Amino acid sequence: MAKYLVKRILFSIFSLLVVVMVVMLLVYTFISRSVIFQTDDTWNKKSGNDRSIYEYTMYQKYGYLTYVDYMTFLANKYKDEVGEDYTKDKAFIADKNVIQKKDECMDNETVQEFIRYYAEKGYEIKYLEPETFKSGRVKPGGTGYLLAVHEKNPLLRLFDYVKGFITIEKKSDVQDEALTDDMRYVRFEKDPYSGLFAIVGSGTTHKYLLYFDNRFPFIHQNWLHINLGTSFTSYRGQEITTVITTPTGDIKPRMTQFPAKLGTDEWTESAINFHTLRYTTNVSEGDAELYPDNYTTGAYFRYGFSMLENSFVIGLIAVAIAYAVGLPLGMLMARRKDRLGDKIGNVYIIFIMAVPPLAYIFMFAALGTTVFKLPYKFANAQVKILAYVLPVLSLALRDIGGLMKWMRRYMIDQMNSDYVKFARAEGMSEREIYRIHISRNAMIYLVHGIPGTIIGCLVGAIITERVYAVPGVGNLLTRAINSHDNGIIVACTVFYTTLSIISLILGDLLLAAYDPRISLADEGGGRR
Amino acid sequence: MNNEPNVTVNDPNDDLFYFIDSDAIASEKIIAPRYSYWKSVFRVFFRKKVNIVMLILLALIVIVAFVMPRFWVYDPMENVTNAATFNLSPAQAMRYFGGFSLKWILGTGQLGNSIFYGIVASSRTSLMLCVICAAINMTVGIIIGALWGYSKKFDVVMLVIYNIIANVPDLLLISVLVYIVGSGFWPFVFALTVTGWLAIAYFFRTQVMIIRDREYSMASRCLGTPVRRVISKNILPFLTSVIVTLLATNLPGYISSELFLSYIGMGLSASVPSLGRMIGEAQNSFLTFPWAFWPPVAVASAITIILYVMGQNLADASDPRTHM
Repeated sequence: MAKYLVKRILFSIFSLLVVVMVVMLLVYTFISRSVIFQTDDTWNKKSGNDRSIYEYTMYQKYGYLTYVDYMTFLANKYKDEVGEDYTKDKAFIADKNVIQKKDECMDNETVQEFIRYYAEKGYEIKYLEPETFKSGRVKPGGTGYLLAVHEKNPLLRLFDYVKGFITIEKKSDVQDEALTDDMRYVRFEKDPYSGLFAIVGSGTTHKYLLYFDNRFPFIHQNWLHINLGTSFTSYRGQEITTVITTPTGDIKPRMTQFPAKLGTDEWTESAINFHTLRYTTNVSEGDAELYPDNYTTGAYFRYGFSMLENSFVIGLIAVAIAYAVGLPLGMLMARRKDRLGDKIGNVYIIFIMAVPPLAYIFMFAALGTTVFKLPYKFANAQVKILAYVLPVLSLALRDIGGLMKWMRRYMIDQMNSDYVKFARAEGMSEREIYRIHISRNAMIYLVHGIPGTIIGCLVGAIITERVYAVPGVGNLLTRAINSHDNGIIVACTVFYTTLSIISLILGDLLLAAYDPRISLADEGGGRR
Repeated sequence: MNNEPNVTVNDPNDDLFYFIDSDAIASEKIIAPRYSYWKSVFRVFFRKKVNIVMLILLALIVIVAFVMPRFWVYDPMENVTNAATFNLSPAQAMRYFGGFSLKWILGTGQLGNSIFYGIVASSRTSLMLCVICAAINMTVGIIIGALWGYSKKFDVVMLVIYNIIANVPDLLLISVLVYIVGSGFWPFVFALTVTGWLAIAYFFRTQVMIIRDREYSMASRCLGTPVRRVISKNILPFLTSVIVTLLATNLPGYISSELFLSYIGMGLSASVPSLGRMIGEAQNSFLTFPWAFWPPVAVASAITIILYVMGQNLADASDPRTHM
C-alpha cells in the first residue's frame, strides 16, 4: 500500500511537471510578450531607449530572458583593475561615454571585449543607438545602451520555477553586513503579543517563524513559503499566494503596543500585525523609535475574508447542504420508482443536467432577488449573512441534482441484485434492506467523489461568483487570461492541477477504506 | 420398437400428393420473426409521445436557424449610430420601427440590434458547433478508444498520456487553448476538440476491454479473425447503445460549454453571433432589460433540453433489451 502510494505520488509530481512545462511553453512562446505593458503607467511615461530598457528589465523579472548591461560589465571590470575609486578613472569615463557616440562605439576595445565575451556565451548583443535631435542634443529617454541578451530556455525556466517554489527561511537569509554572525539565531522566545511562546528568528526574513494568536487556525507560520508565481499585470508584482490569502476588507486598527514600547504604558491605535514583521535594511528614524530591531515592515489586519476563504466557505456550505439533501432525496426516489415523487425528481434532474448552468443560475438569481427580496450583489448586502444565501443555493441546487441522479441510479441497480432478494427471503424488513444493504452499496460509487467536491471548493465557482460579484478565487484564471497575466496562469495551473491530483488520490484511498473488497496496491489478477 | 415403419406408398399418380425436391438453400434458413435492429430502435423511440413532440420542436428550430438567415441578414451594427434604438422593449421597438414586424418582436439590444435575428443567427452557430464538435470528438474518441481497449501495447502508452492530461482541469486546458489559438469559430472548435476526445476514448476503452474478453470474441480470435473485423463486427455492434448514450450527453454539453466560455470572455469572438455572448452582454441589466436576456437563455435551454431528453430516450431505445 505504501509502495503504491509513493509510486502514485511520484507519477503525479511527474505529470504535474509535464503539465506546467506544456503550459509554460504555450503561454511564454505563443503569446506576445508586449501584453505585459498594456496597463502599465510607468511604461507609458517612458519613451525611446529608456522604454526599451524598462521592457528588458520587466522581461527579465517575468522570466522571459536574462540580460547584462554594458555598464555593469564595465563597473566590474574597472573595480577589479582600479579599485573602489574606479568611477573617477579616466579610462572608465572614456569607455562609459563611448556608447553614446554612434560612430566610434564599435571600434572601442572594451566594447569589443564585452561583445566577444558574451557572444561566446551565446548572448545576443543589442546596441540601442543614442537618439539625438539634429542639434546633437539627446532626446528625452534617448540615451544609448549596450546589452547582451539571452533568451531563456524553456527547460531552464521550468527549473527556475521549481527551484523557487518552496523556500524555507534560514538565519543566513538576510544579506546585511550590520548583522554579524553572532547576532543571527533561530530560537524559542516568549511571545509578548500572545503570551505563549513563539519561534523567533534573527537574520531570517520574517521575525516570527511560528506563533500563536486568536485568529483561526490559531497556529501560524512564516517559516515555509510557497511561491506559486508572481502576477504580471492584474496584481502587478504580487505573489499569487499573498493575493488569495489576504483579507479583502478595509484595514482593522486596534489598540496595541509597538515592539519597542512593550512594557511601557504607551498604547497606540494601529492595524499592523506585529507577527508578520519582515527585515528592512534601512530603518527610518520614526521606525527606529517604535521597533527595537530591523524588523519593521508588517502586514495589516483587515476586515472580512480572503478570496480563498470566501470561495471555500460558500463552497463548503453548499456541499454540506447538497449531501444532506441530495442523498436522502435520491434514496427516496429509488424507493418510490415510477411514482409521482420520482417523476417530479426526474424533471428536476433533467432541468439541472440539461439546462446550461449559466441559464439556471440566472433563473435562481432572478427568483431570489425579485420574489424573496434577497440581496443580489455580494458587496451591497445590508445584512452580511444574507449575501451568502443566493450563491450557496446556486451551488447547492446544482449539486443536489447531480447527487440525486447518481444515488437513484445506483440504488436501482442494487435493488435487483441477488443479495437483496436473499435478504428479503431471509425476512428482513424493507426499511432494513434499504438502510443496511442497498444504500451502503450504492454509496460505494459516490464515496470516490467526496474528497474532490470538498477540495474543489478551494477552486471557487466561476459563474456563481461572477453573477453575485463574490470576491473569490473562482475567476482568478479567467481574469488572468483576459488580462494576459502569464504568472497567474502558470500559478493557477499548478494550483488546480495539484488540487485535482490530491482529490483523485484521496478519493481512491477513501474508496479503498470504505469498501474492503477494493485493493489499490493489487494490480495483478485482473484483466489486463 | 424396431419394427419397420408401416408406410404405404400411394400411387404417384394420386392427385392429393406429389413429390417436391429438397431445397438446399431454403433448408438453411431458420424461420423466425424478422428483426431489424434500427427498425426496432425507432419503433421503441416513437412509442413515446414526448419524443415526437421534441423531434418536431427540434426540426422547427433547425429550419428556422438554418433557413431564415438566408433571407434575414443579421447585422448587429445596423443601428449603432442611432442611440434612440438602444435597449427598446418589444412594444417600443415596434412603435419606433413602424408597426408589427417579426424582426422587432423581441425588442432591441444595447446597440439597437434585433434580438430575434440575433437569436436565430446564434442558434445556428450553437447547433453547428455542437454537431461539428460532437462529430469530431466522437469519431476520434471511438476509433482511438477501440484500438486502445484492444491493443495492450497501445494501452500502456495511452494510459500515461491520459493520466497526465486527466489531471488538468478541463477549463484550464480549453481556456489556455482559446487564449493561444484565438477565438474565431474554427479555432474554438479546435480548442474544444484537441483533447476533448480523450475522455470519450478512455470511457470507450473500458467498454471495449469488457467485451474483448467475452467468450464469443475469444472464440472469434482463436479462429483467426483479423483485428479490424473483430472490432467492427464483434465489438462495435455491442456498443451501439453506449455510443448513443455518450452522444446524448455530449451534444448538449457543447452548447453549455460555448455559453459558459463566451460568458466568461473566452469563447467566440464578437464577429461570430453566439448565444453565450448575447447572454453575457445582456446579463448586467437583466432586471432592467429582461427582453434582451431571457429569450437567448430560453432558446439555449430549450435546445439543450430537447437534445438531452431525445438523446436519453434514443439511448434507452437503442438498448436491445427494451425491444421486447
